[in-house]
Amino acid sequence: MADPLGRDPDHVWMSTEVSLWGWGEAARLLPGTGHRRMQALDEAFFDVVSGADIDDRVGLPGTGPVVFASVTFSPRSTGTVGIVPRVVVGRRGDDWWMTSVDDARPPGRAPEPGAEDKARYAGSSLPDVLWLERVAKAIERIEAGELEKVVLARDYAVWSRAPFHPARVLDRLIGRFPGCHVFRVADLVGASPELLVRRHATRVDSLVLAGSAPAYADEERDTSAARNLLDSGKDRWEHELAVRSVREPLSGIGADVTVRDRPEILRLANVQHLATAVAATVPEDWDALQLAELLHPTAAVGGTPTDRAFEVIGALEGMDRGRYSGPVGWMDARGDGEFAIALRCAELSGARARLFAGAGIVAGSLPEAELDETRLKLGAMMVALGAE
Amino acid sequence: MDAPDAALRKALVADDPESLLTLPELADRSGLSLPLLEALTREGLLLARTDETEPRYHPDDAEAVRAGLELVEAGLPLGELLELARRADQAMRPVAEAAVDAFVRFVREPVEGTAPTDEEAATRLVDALEVMLPAARRLVGQHFSRLLIEDARRRLARERT
Repeated sequence: MADPLGRDPDHVWMSTEVSLWGWGEAARLLPGTGHRRMQALDEAFFDVVSGADIDDRVGLPGTGPVVFASVTFSPRSTGTVGIVPRVVVGRRGDDWWMTSVDDARPPGRAPEPGAEDKARYAGSSLPDVLWLERVAKAIERIEAGELEKVVLARDYAVWSRAPFHPARVLDRLIGRFPGCHVFRVADLVGASPELLVRRHATRVDSLVLAGSAPAYADEERDTSAARNLLDSGKDRWEHELAVRSVREPLSGIGADVTVRDRPEILRLANVQHLATAVAATVPEDWDALQLAELLHPTAAVGGTPTDRAFEVIGALEGMDRGRYSGPVGWMDARGDGEFAIALRCAELSGARARLFAGAGIVAGSLPEAELDETRLKLGAMMVALGAE
Repeated sequence: MDAPDAALRKALVADDPESLLTLPELADRSGLSLPLLEALTREGLLLARTDETEPRYHPDDAEAVRAGLELVEAGLPLGELLELARRADQAMRPVAEAAVDAFVRFVREPVEGTAPTDEEAATRLVDALEVMLPAARRLVGQHFSRLLIEDARRRLARERT
């Protein structure tokens, strides 16, 4: 990982557009719970910067003061956090910059961290045999017409004989999932393929992923899996619901929205997704955090209809998702920023961690297939945390 | 079909159709949930005994899936158990095929060629089958159990060094 200053950054964002590395905390913003937690975070950030004397000689998205934010999936969960680092080093293409609060400097080289152990399974919030039954219940409710889609997630608690190294976890995620949005915010680390929203002035982009198939090393098998995915009514329907869940709220605020009518294939190391890019021109008073609040949760992480899906998730999932599948990203004082959906992530806490994976359930889903999909996703995260 | 084959077939299909279980009955008997049993049948890990419209299962299947549940209750995640079961299924199918070949060539054909009457052949074949099936079960079960113990001991020895 780019590590321009010798010491691992405390806060990281890396996308194809911009990379930001942050050290220290000038402010930690804790907006609490509730449906308006992102708005509250937004206001708290602008409270901080409105009192500041800002000298920004670069003037690009990401320059000047920024907040790294990680938001809970559910309005009821605690843990939403925003951090304004003391020092940020940023990079966009060939442009590099440094932003500091009160002339802070990046800390010097850290002592070499000790040797890593590996991720070892400790348990799950809900035993997977029960999770499978809950998936079967969700399918029943979908087939009874109560809702169209719901995403059900499960978790692994893991432990290690030595503390996890967030920077090395990020390195492995970058190696395995190139092209993803890589983040570390308050020790939620991950690499997400799913861009919830990128805002640059009035231009907004979002990348919807829903509907997936395994990726294979064998080219012929891989191409045929991609073709089956593009032809699968179940996956195309699941994808269409997710696209709609982004397009409709944007149209609702008067945005001019452009969506391709056919999804493409986005191929990652172990999985390929149906992908649709959504582009929009939005009114300029909507900043990145407010847009994230507008779009969260998309059908790719919640379901359709949203309220019913939330109720089913609450009734069946048997765990608190915390910040998993919530928005994670950054915003600057112009309101520009990027938010991914925190998928493929782990919440690190010393020598303990929690990993998550979810699967989209629609009519015709098979519980054992969803169990296996989440098993493979969790296995990949175990590897990122240093399992064999 | 001649008499010895008919007798074998009868011995293979079922003892008493009345004793066979529907899937909900198997759920009751084994303590596994219906959705889990349905998943096992879709995975091909639980095989119906008859080709009738409603699939029926042997009471011994209740014992087998109950054993699976015990593994899960002891801590093995279901997803891992299913993956192991798929691999065991794949590995054992060709062995089963070879074992049936051996039975045909070295048990059935000699009996058919030497028994004085069809009736005698039928009796001898059914007797052989009734000995051989449970014996194969004990043999394979015990062998796998030995393999597990050997591997666990090797690992423990390695970790100690």
